[in-house]
Amino acid sequence: MLQKVLEEFQEAVYDTDQNRVLEIVHKAIDNGVAAEDVVFEIVIPILEKAIQSISEDDSTCLSQMFFTAQIAAAVTEEMIPLFKQAPKVVGCVVIGTSSGDFHGLGKRIVIGCLKAMMIDVIDLGLSVPPERFVDEAVANKAQLIGISSMMVHTARGENGCLKVRQILKERGLEEQIKIIVGGAPYRYDHELYKVVQADAWTENAITSSQIIKDLIKEVQK
Amino acid sequence: MITGMDRLIAAMSGTPCDRIPVFCFMSDQGAKELGMTLQEYYSNGEYVAEAQLKMREKYGYDNLLSLFYFGKEAELLGCKEIVFAQDGPPNVGQMILKTYDDIHKLQIPDDISSHPAFQEELKCLRILKKEAGGRYPIVAFLSASMTLPTLLMGIEKWMELLLMGPVEVRDELLTKCSEFFRKETSAYRNAGADVFVYVNPFGSTDFLPMKLIKELSLNWMEKDLQPGGTQGLVYNCSGARMNSVIEMVLERTGIGACLFSAMDDITEGKKIITGRALCGGSFNDIKLIDWSKEEIRNEVKRIIDAGRQGGKFFFGTQLMPYSIPEQNIRAMLEAAYEFGKL
Repeated sequence: MLQKVLEEFQEAVYDTDQNRVLEIVHKAIDNGVAAEDVVFEIVIPILEKAIQSISEDDSTCLSQMFFTAQIAAAVTEEMIPLFKQAPKVVGCVVIGTSSGDFHGLGKRIVIGCLKAMMIDVIDLGLSVPPERFVDEAVANKAQLIGISSMMVHTARGENGCLKVRQILKERGLEEQIKIIVGGAPYRYDHELYKVVQADAWTENAITSSQIIKDLIKEVQK
Repeated sequence: MITGMDRLIAAMSGTPCDRIPVFCFMSDQGAKELGMTLQEYYSNGEYVAEAQLKMREKYGYDNLLSLFYFGKEAELLGCKEIVFAQDGPPNVGQMILKTYDDIHKLQIPDDISSHPAFQEELKCLRILKKEAGGRYPIVAFLSASMTLPTLLMGIEKWMELLLMGPVEVRDELLTKCSEFFRKETSAYRNAGADVFVYVNPFGSTDFLPMKLIKELSLNWMEKDLQPGGTQGLVYNCSGARMNSVIEMVLERTGIGACLFSAMDDITEGKKIITGRALCGGSFNDIKLIDWSKEEIRNEVKRIIDAGRQGGKFFFGTQLMPYSIPEQNIRAMLEAAYEFGKL
């Protein structure tokens, strides 16, 4: 039965049909499918499939990524209270857009994916001052700071990632907290993450979850 | 003396000329040129016109740009807060559509030309037309109906409404945005603009699945570009790619020109278009910040080599970031003039 649910779920996600997705999930729960199975056997495999397909070819578009991430997060949030035991959290990420940047779409897709992957996310919102990224990462014991930028000047600017790196260095936190960046300027210049002194970058929001998981593991070693 | 307009007309008609047209889209750089902050610069249409004329003269490219910043479109529809930066384009600071009720209440101005928020642009356009009209094409950038909502409600909320919201509310907003597009184009046309870059990332399969492009985007493009609306129009998906849609766009709208993004495969695009439209290849402006002179020359050559086969080609840029060093702008343009010789 799980395989049939998985196939129906996948088709509804592909068609960006939110109502159908929720109907499929509710029907599965009514028919005795465990909430844990909905998340670990359906939602996460669908996300991983999306990651794989984006990595293999670039035919997946922004709206499909947005929809997949929103649905994955919504279903996961609905299922977690039904779990028999609280799920094991992988790690914690604080995320926001760089100072002066008011574009939040990429960040929102990343958050959706991370929630479904059992990663705690602290959303700091738009135009986040560099000090706040670090303060919130420390306060929440986060392993990672995610900085999203849609514009060149906010990606490269002195109050963006460069300043976050400087603060981490000054406070001796570089081993405990890593930085990942993403957004349009990084897609146009794959070396830009080095210029702004990030530890990693992500080409798109969906595939970021695997890179983030790896960075969290690196810090936790 | 051969002018930018001569080169553009020659490229469109396939007649001989000295070189391909070179279009360079610099807006924020004007403030640097006049030694002003961006906020001061954009406060007065005379400043923008002066800088545009000065930069064209200094670098020798073939166009003038009437665009201030994209948030101007939101200002025409009621936005009162623009956030200015020291080193980048101004952002919309207040989304005017926060609820569906705001969409119902949204009013499209009857006459954009007399709208207070259009007066500085009008001033700029009049000066450009007086000083260089007919010799150098004056280019306007206008958001398509499918794209304008991102400036009014933010891209997240627009994506939500587009994919998951009530269809009747979505269509009400698109109807208003399409009406605005037609009125705005007409205002720019009347004020002297010659070329209209029709900015529509939501007309690219990088943004929407093909199903939605066919069922939605193309219908709204047709509405935006009602009969007679394509004169001087250039299809552009901003930084997104267009090769997968361009055949349908040409067929359904009759657009006669397109400006590829730096991500597009120009050779493939030209094969699809087969001489039916003028094509422009864009330089990757973000790489232009750090690349060496040699890297810049190689990239210009690659773009022109890919595009010049079969003619009907121009070299172009996207909206260039403020932080590009002047010597790199010169290196790009000098290479374009050299490799673009006919």
